[in-house]
Amino acid sequence: MNAITRAYGLRWVVLPPLVGAGILAMLVGAVVAAPRELVEGDVQRLMYIHVPSAQAMYLAFGVVFVASILVLWKRDMRWDAVARGAASVGVLFTGFALVTGMLWGKPTWGVYWQWDARLTSTLVLFLVYAAYLLARAVSDPSDEQAARYSAVYAIVGFLDVPLIVMSVRWWRTLHPQPIVARLDPQLPDSMLLVLLISTLAIYLLAIWLIALRTDTERLGQRLLGLRAAVDRREEA
Amino acid sequence: MNATLAVLAKDLRLAWRDRAGWLTAGAFAAISVLTYSFAFDLATTDVRPLLPGVLWTTFLFAGVFASGAGFQSEAEEGTFDALLLAPVSPTVVFVGKLLCNFIALVVIEFALLIAATILFDEPLLTPELVAIVMLGTAGYVSLTTLLGTLGSGPRIRAVLLPVMALPLLVPMLIAAVRATGESLGLFGGDAPWMLLLGVFAVWSALVAALLFPMAVER
Repeated sequence: MNAITRAYGLRWVVLPPLVGAGILAMLVGAVVAAPRELVEGDVQRLMYIHVPSAQAMYLAFGVVFVASILVLWKRDMRWDAVARGAASVGVLFTGFALVTGMLWGKPTWGVYWQWDARLTSTLVLFLVYAAYLLARAVSDPSDEQAARYSAVYAIVGFLDVPLIVMSVRWWRTLHPQPIVARLDPQLPDSMLLVLLISTLAIYLLAIWLIALRTDTERLGQRLLGLRAAVDRREEA
Repeated sequence: MNATLAVLAKDLRLAWRDRAGWLTAGAFAAISVLTYSFAFDLATTDVRPLLPGVLWTTFLFAGVFASGAGFQSEAEEGTFDALLLAPVSPTVVFVGKLLCNFIALVVIEFALLIAATILFDEPLLTPELVAIVMLGTAGYVSLTTLLGTLGSGPRIRAVLLPVMALPLLVPMLIAAVRATGESLGLFGGDAPWMLLLGVFAVWSALVAALLFPMAVER
């Protein structure tokens, strides 16, 4: 535990240069180094931000889920700050994934939006976590009751994902089938390398943003606590 | 078990005394079906392709609305906090409230089915459709009761509850609409919609019963 605490203390030293180098490598790789796709053309380069954004979305929502369980279990408002921070970053990357997907869809499929299973379930996921952020935004950041309520909602939302995916798949099914996560990846090596670099860079960016947002939420909670203490002292 | 029944009896009595809340939900459902009739011109066309969607959106909106409104007075009077002080498990209290909401919603839904049978000349009170409505209601009532009773403050109940509940209920809505369509003789696809409805009902009841005590423990 001590090692984790010490590593977390170094986040402002380690993460910014790593994220900067990663994003630079990603841009050079995606725009210059990766070969031009023969059929789809340059628009295919959006994949290097689209796929990693979707991955970062899962990472962030996973963090929200775990932190929400800890809010209910440990009764510690620090976990609420983590959950809120990760939720806002998750919603951001879900938005990235949706927008880059639509920009790619227009020249490739001929339309921006298709009611395809994967698109639809990602949109529902976006709405679930946007609702989570709204519910948390209308209540006081240091309100423990509201924190527990949001935690319950986040847990139900996360557990709902398999059901949403299943039902929407049965309802509709145009998204390109996964071509990386299988035993014989069908992507050329040069593209695969750029995609791996991009995924790493976006993961680091997501982690850095979650840490930033968490610290901001934490400061907000402490500020409210201090204000309440000042009020109590003035009354006394 | 006795405690659950006591909570159920108390909530049903409250619902009966303060009829305004539930009557508003029922009136809302009736107006909604009427609005759909004008919007989609259900009077002249074949209603079967549209009817499942009309019925289930109405059920869902009325259900989400009612779970928030039905709890309003109890939250204002502070009886909910008092109830949690009772020497029984919070799950028992939750199940009582759940049953009350279920009964009240089923009453509204059946009134609506009878009205739709008359208005659209479509036999809706078939055993199959009754089973679908009960199963679908069991699916959404656990989550709306959970979110409706836990939400602190009128702002969450009045405005945010639909925004929060409806995305979670997407699987149940799709399954219920398709299953209803199939029972009206429409092609619903190859998927086992009744199974999905059943799985959703069991899943939501388990998740809600598990999370409620963790959320209200003081």
